[in-house]
Amino acid sequence: MYKVTKKIMGFLMFALIFIWQNDVHAQQVSGTVTTQANQETLPGVNIVVKGTSIGTSTNSEGNYQLTVPSLQDTLVFSFVGFQTREVPINGRTEIDISMQPQVVTGEEMVVVGYGEQQVESVTGSISSVSSEDLQETPSVTTGDALVGKVQGVTARQADARPGSPPQIEIRNLGDPLFVIDGVPSTEGDFAQLGQGDIESISVLKDASAAVYGLRASSGVVLVQTKDGGYGQDTEININGYYGWQNYTRYPQPANAYQYVRGKVYAAQNRGETQLPYTEEELQNWRQGGGEYQSYDYYDIVMEPMVPQNQLGASVSGGSESISYYLSATHLTQKAVIEDYSFDRTNIQANIEGTISDRLTLGAEISARMENRQNVGVPGLDDYFNPFLSVFSMWPTEAPYANNNPNYVNDVHNVNVNPATYTRDITGWVNDIWRQGRFNINAEYDFDFGLTLSGTGSYQIGSWDFDGFEYTYNAYQYDEENDEYIPVQGNDNPWRERRWRNNVNRFLSFQADYSVDIGNHSISALAAYERSDFRGDEQRIHTVPDNNYINVMSFSNQDLLIHAIEKQAHAGYVGRFNYNYDEKYLLELLGRYDGSFLFPEDNRWGFFPGISAGWRVSEEEFFDDAFGNTISNLKIRASYGRTGSETDSGNNFIIAPFSYRSGYDYYAGSSVFDGSYYTGVGPRGRPITNVSWITAVTKNIGLDISFFDDRLSATIDVFERRRDGLPATPQDLVVPEELGYDTPPQNLNSDAARGIEGSISYNGQIGQDISYRVGANATLSRWRVLSDENFRAGNSWDYYRNSPEDRWSAITWGYQVIGRFQSQEQIDNYPVNIDGQGNRTALPGDLIYKDVNGDGIITDLDQRPIGYAQGWNPYTSFGFNGSFSYKGANLSFNLAGAAMQSYTRDWELRYFFQNNGNSPEFMLTDRWHRADPFDPTSEWIPGHYPANRGPNYGHYNYQSNNYWTHNVWYLRLQNLQLGYTIPRDLLAQVGVKSLRVYVKGTNLYSFDNMKKYQIDPEISATNGLVYPRQSMYSFGFDLSL
Amino acid sequence: MRNLIMKSLNRYTLLFVLLFAMTGCDGDWLVREPESIITEEQVWNDPEMIEGLLANYYDRLPRFHSLTDGQGQGWAEFALFTNAMWSGQENRDGLLNIENYGTTWWALWDYDLIRDLNLAIENIDQYSTELDPDQKNQFKAELRFLRAWVYFQHVKRMGGVPLVTETLEYDFSGDPSSVQIPRSTEAEIYNFIGSELDAIQDSLGHNAGSQTRANKYTALALKSRTMLYAGSVAYHNSRMSQPITLENEDGGRLVGIPGEMAQGYYEEALAAAEEVIQNSPNTLYNGVSGDPGANFYQAVTVKDGNNEVIFAEDFMASADRRHLFTYFNIPRPIREDNLDSSSLTPGLGLIEAYPYVDGSSGELQTRDATTGDYVYYDSVGEIFEGKDGRMDGTVIVPGESFRGQSVPMQAGVKVWNTSSGSYETVEGSALGSTYSGEEGGPEVDWTLTAGGGPHRTVQNVSASGFYLRKFVDNTTGASTRGTQSDTWWVRMRLSEMYLNAAEAAYQLSQLGGSATAQDAADYINVLRERAGFEQSGMLDGSSIDFETIMNERRIELAFEGHRLWDLIRWRRAHQVWNGDDSNPTANVAALYPYRVYRPGTPMHGKYVFDKIGPQAPSFVNARWFQMANYYARIPQDAINNNPELVQNPFH
Repeated sequence: MYKVTKKIMGFLMFALIFIWQNDVHAQQVSGTVTTQANQETLPGVNIVVKGTSIGTSTNSEGNYQLTVPSLQDTLVFSFVGFQTREVPINGRTEIDISMQPQVVTGEEMVVVGYGEQQVESVTGSISSVSSEDLQETPSVTTGDALVGKVQGVTARQADARPGSPPQIEIRNLGDPLFVIDGVPSTEGDFAQLGQGDIESISVLKDASAAVYGLRASSGVVLVQTKDGGYGQDTEININGYYGWQNYTRYPQPANAYQYVRGKVYAAQNRGETQLPYTEEELQNWRQGGGEYQSYDYYDIVMEPMVPQNQLGASVSGGSESISYYLSATHLTQKAVIEDYSFDRTNIQANIEGTISDRLTLGAEISARMENRQNVGVPGLDDYFNPFLSVFSMWPTEAPYANNNPNYVNDVHNVNVNPATYTRDITGWVNDIWRQGRFNINAEYDFDFGLTLSGTGSYQIGSWDFDGFEYTYNAYQYDEENDEYIPVQGNDNPWRERRWRNNVNRFLSFQADYSVDIGNHSISALAAYERSDFRGDEQRIHTVPDNNYINVMSFSNQDLLIHAIEKQAHAGYVGRFNYNYDEKYLLELLGRYDGSFLFPEDNRWGFFPGISAGWRVSEEEFFDDAFGNTISNLKIRASYGRTGSETDSGNNFIIAPFSYRSGYDYYAGSSVFDGSYYTGVGPRGRPITNVSWITAVTKNIGLDISFFDDRLSATIDVFERRRDGLPATPQDLVVPEELGYDTPPQNLNSDAARGIEGSISYNGQIGQDISYRVGANATLSRWRVLSDENFRAGNSWDYYRNSPEDRWSAITWGYQVIGRFQSQEQIDNYPVNIDGQGNRTALPGDLIYKDVNGDGIITDLDQRPIGYAQGWNPYTSFGFNGSFSYKGANLSFNLAGAAMQSYTRDWELRYFFQNNGNSPEFMLTDRWHRADPFDPTSEWIPGHYPANRGPNYGHYNYQSNNYWTHNVWYLRLQNLQLGYTIPRDLLAQVGVKSLRVYVKGTNLYSFDNMKKYQIDPEISATNGLVYPRQSMYSFGFDLSL
Repeated sequence: MRNLIMKSLNRYTLLFVLLFAMTGCDGDWLVREPESIITEEQVWNDPEMIEGLLANYYDRLPRFHSLTDGQGQGWAEFALFTNAMWSGQENRDGLLNIENYGTTWWALWDYDLIRDLNLAIENIDQYSTELDPDQKNQFKAELRFLRAWVYFQHVKRMGGVPLVTETLEYDFSGDPSSVQIPRSTEAEIYNFIGSELDAIQDSLGHNAGSQTRANKYTALALKSRTMLYAGSVAYHNSRMSQPITLENEDGGRLVGIPGEMAQGYYEEALAAAEEVIQNSPNTLYNGVSGDPGANFYQAVTVKDGNNEVIFAEDFMASADRRHLFTYFNIPRPIREDNLDSSSLTPGLGLIEAYPYVDGSSGELQTRDATTGDYVYYDSVGEIFEGKDGRMDGTVIVPGESFRGQSVPMQAGVKVWNTSSGSYETVEGSALGSTYSGEEGGPEVDWTLTAGGGPHRTVQNVSASGFYLRKFVDNTTGASTRGTQSDTWWVRMRLSEMYLNAAEAAYQLSQLGGSATAQDAADYINVLRERAGFEQSGMLDGSSIDFETIMNERRIELAFEGHRLWDLIRWRRAHQVWNGDDSNPTANVAALYPYRVYRPGTPMHGKYVFDKIGPQAPSFVNARWFQMANYYARIPQDAINNNPELVQNPFH
């Protein structure tokens, strides 16, 4: 088969060359080039005859005249900022064309590992996003701007507190490697970039990532920051926006009447005779007012319409020998909770100069400061307690004693009284991250196609955590004497500082060579790089004497923790590209990589890759047959091997220095005879036989476009198989009495498999309206291929617990097939659901399917009911579009996902969890008797089971598909209306361009979590987490 | 000029190429030195490092109860048994609701630690070139003491375990039979511990007087305890209707010890205890005269001038070695932090186990025996007057104070209903609520429900009517999360030696051994005298019985981690904790004080008590100790990986 194909191809090639050579007659072609939007003429457009160096450009009127070898040739029109168009002459002598501004597919060059490539000659699966695209959807973090835009990129924002990025993955493979301006960087560096400073983002999804070797098995995200451009006029740009944010959703707590009524129901349903409230009291709560006032702790904790804004300015331009780009951006995001906020300042300075014709020197300097200001709430996470207090507080109790805002009320649990959650009362935390990166580049071009270049990078990052939790009093109001009696609030003063210093160093040398010999085009790359990292962290804690003095004292100190981290990596990179006539494309790449993590024998690894492409549309036969409809068709395939020293959560697969024996200092401690002794602990047997995980990525893809690239589509099918996941070998049965574990080896394997694609259309209606619509989708799911550690005891054990050759992380549980409708039904029900003859069931309780039909519900009746929980969804999709009419532009972006599971738990599951309140929907939409004071009154159906208080052990609360949901959503992420002020109006005031816009973010979501009032992306099972915000904003973009 | 630039540029280019070539030699780039790893030679030639190693091992000694908190080895486990119940955070309410003890709750198979100890005993010979022989011997003896301690922890939970006294190495050849060690008999493990302790006791001279490192008397105290355990397993197991036993191929008992060995063990236990009592520098604490309760609290909890403690796990707040025991267990009304408190609250059963100092039964008189009416007390604390001083030292009862602050306790008010001729109970829904009287009656300004409860439903306040005092730190700030506490965890103290001697003597008197029942009474009387007992409360050879000895251990050593193991070795656990919801010994009961509102009568304003039992409010399941719990389940991995191992009975 292969041979036959080869023969046919050879023949076709020969035939095509023959036809071309027989068609050489010089002819004149002329015409006018205009813009598509408003038919203005375009001066300076480059026109070349394809495949030759014959060309010209349009004059100041937009006209051109060109002598071409043949009227069967194709003309290529190109102009900065516009999509390049290829127009077959087809025998005409006058060709007028209009050009469209560059959009997604317009980028000629795409950034790939260690360089750039022409889009046409790319053979890997690489998606890219341009600066224009990012600008359209300004987000706080970079990753958020990618959501729903690019096939293969999946995202989940489980916690959207100010300044936090969504979890971004490529094809759900785990945490990708981020490379900014050629330097490996952290996810934080990527997320917190100034988005105005980004020129382009490329996502390497398949073997194309193998050029990054040991750290690239989950894909690579490449970021290029902007430069000024030689010979460009100075441009000053100022842009900004101001918006108001709210939560997309948050569960609303019940009011006092609902709460009190629920307490009575709980006692009634538990069969208690002494009810906590009388009918009269319940009526009083229903009427409210006076001492029966109801407090809504959602309203007390959260404040609506809080601002978020950004202001940025940049200067760019260049002379013949210098190019520069300087910018500064400041962003402020207030939290929906008072006194919590995030702000960030970014500075970027990119300068490049040509020292001689051949030598170029440049520097990229970037710095940022992230400032998170929180209220210092006792406990671990300052954000958690405010969320908790919405439900932990009783709606029957007041936040302030006698409702006097000067006195914190002594409520049932003062620790969750939101009246204390201000920086003045409970204290504060200022969490600041400062970072600066200095890159220096040099490049030398030889005249025979060789370029040598080098980059050195030095980055310092410093974390400064400064917290003070005050002591405070709570008060009881003595009505008789009109006195406020102080009682204990918080007597646990806490003062803590944490410092971290990270130093990243990076050095690389690179040689590039490219040569064209006839139709053979060859390029090659060789590079060497090394990097290291050292992180120092210190933590100091004191117990301060008072709430006033921030300076810490040794006499109050009771804690010092110091930790040092070290890493080092090095690698050799090689790549070879060949293409024949830009039709047959081949890329070979390899990397020899070393990591400090492994002992000497296992330290280095070789990670090769190969990819090839065939641009079918460049074939003459194809052009003849489909040239008018299919403007581009490329078939790609790749195979690449990468390595990984981390698991998918970015943790090292073995602890650093595991190969070293000896003793750990600071391992435990004892007090002997009143003196402190630092512990010295044996490290156990060294682990010397574990090396990196190897990942093999296979990808087959197709790029196709129709009608002069108006409609284009891409589809990719892929698999990443990982071998050598560390596990303890099972065939080595070693007695526990040895006292050491069998060391792990590289044994297990898994795979992620999926498909992704995108389609977009650029269209035009009449003279004035142009539009673009696009859609993309990704499906990627993990499978465990082999698991050395699993041994089944019996066939059920195998069915229930074996992970082998199964989709990963399946949620198991009971299948709910209905609800008990009456006591009679419970009494006569043939299946014993609770293991106690259904004695514990009430009407409304769940009926589980007796899968094995043995008349009793046991573990054996559990079946798969859902997907992974907390992971990025297996399926992601996006729709986007924009419509332009003259200067006006309307754009939207929808992002969606499916195939993820979420289990309602705690506050969303148990009534009065944590001795607190419950969501309103739980206390109103539940099975209950008509009269809370009459235990014989009829049952009224509802969604939730009957309220019996927390009732943790009840069978209703076992894992089942009533509590576990397979979540899907489609979110209207952005809706933007912009207007570009006509140029002639602005010219008088010396403004180059001005665009203004109004925008809505996360305005609406279609999903199946609405009735639980939670955002579909959260993963916290209790719902107590910062959900995505919706935002209304307006902004401007001004160039001078 | 331009030429010059070009020239130097060419030079730079050359340099550039050279650099590129040079980077080939980066062998050392990937070798990074860890900052906190030291070598064998460094450790074994530096006494301070060896002490650091010992610090690590002492820290890793297995514990089931302690002052720290951890799964299966913390203070919260005290709530599993019946001296106290859980009144703390709701999310650990499971401690009130256990259906049985599970088969692995106190299982232990810590051969990692045994290996490390064996390795250290071997390495000290191999690597120590600069220590003098005396120092070497001392360290070796100390390591062997630790190993004996660890084996004792295993044998009391698991029965006979594989006895590994040298490091085992496996060559991964595929035939692990050389490292498959079968279980020794239970008696063999006890004998090993006994002989080890005999062998090393005279090599521990450097640690003489230490309360935190092993010395001669630490070794003897451990010997007394282990031999007592061995003796009682032999004695009581063989007297069960169906003794628990598991034999190996040679007829050796992997669990259980033949009854005839009991006498020998008791003799050794008595001898070791006597030697500690007579010759050790440890003395019973008598720092507070005239207040046996305060004295007893200090004898256990306070470190200063405390000579009674033989072996403790010590803490030091200034070095961040501290615990949150006080934060979690301080009584609610006087807590200093705002989140937790009152987690472990003693039950009525323990309170009533403390006799009155005149020797009468400790049962509290709440009802008049003839009329059935309440007994009316003038104060909430009056009912406890005349109780064993050790009760006050262990528990905070109503009317008591802690750190000089009163701990108010009152559950509610009893209102007399004249028409029904009975009391109605009024309890506040919140703590610290006030009561102002009934309609038609006089107005009063009383507490309704006190800040310290007891309360039936509020969390972090006593549900049982009592608070814990033992091990709760009386230092200011100790109940805050910021400061925490550094009271020590008492592993062994002299009182136990008196009780060991008493029990061994009593058993020997039964077996016709070298001691008499009067000897047993004499040992206990020493402790009773310190606890403030009057002459009528003293025991003699005729009045002492085994029930008294068992009760004396319960009340003297409460919350020191003895009760579970005592009931196991006496083979009483399955009777005391029999899973019956109506059995007082299997449940935790409560005592709720009320103030009487009955205007115009002498009872008005007085205090009465309700005993709420057998189950206190919120206490759910009776404790159920099954036969399988006498010897915990050997972990399945251990069984799977060593075909020589036999699982314990009933598993």
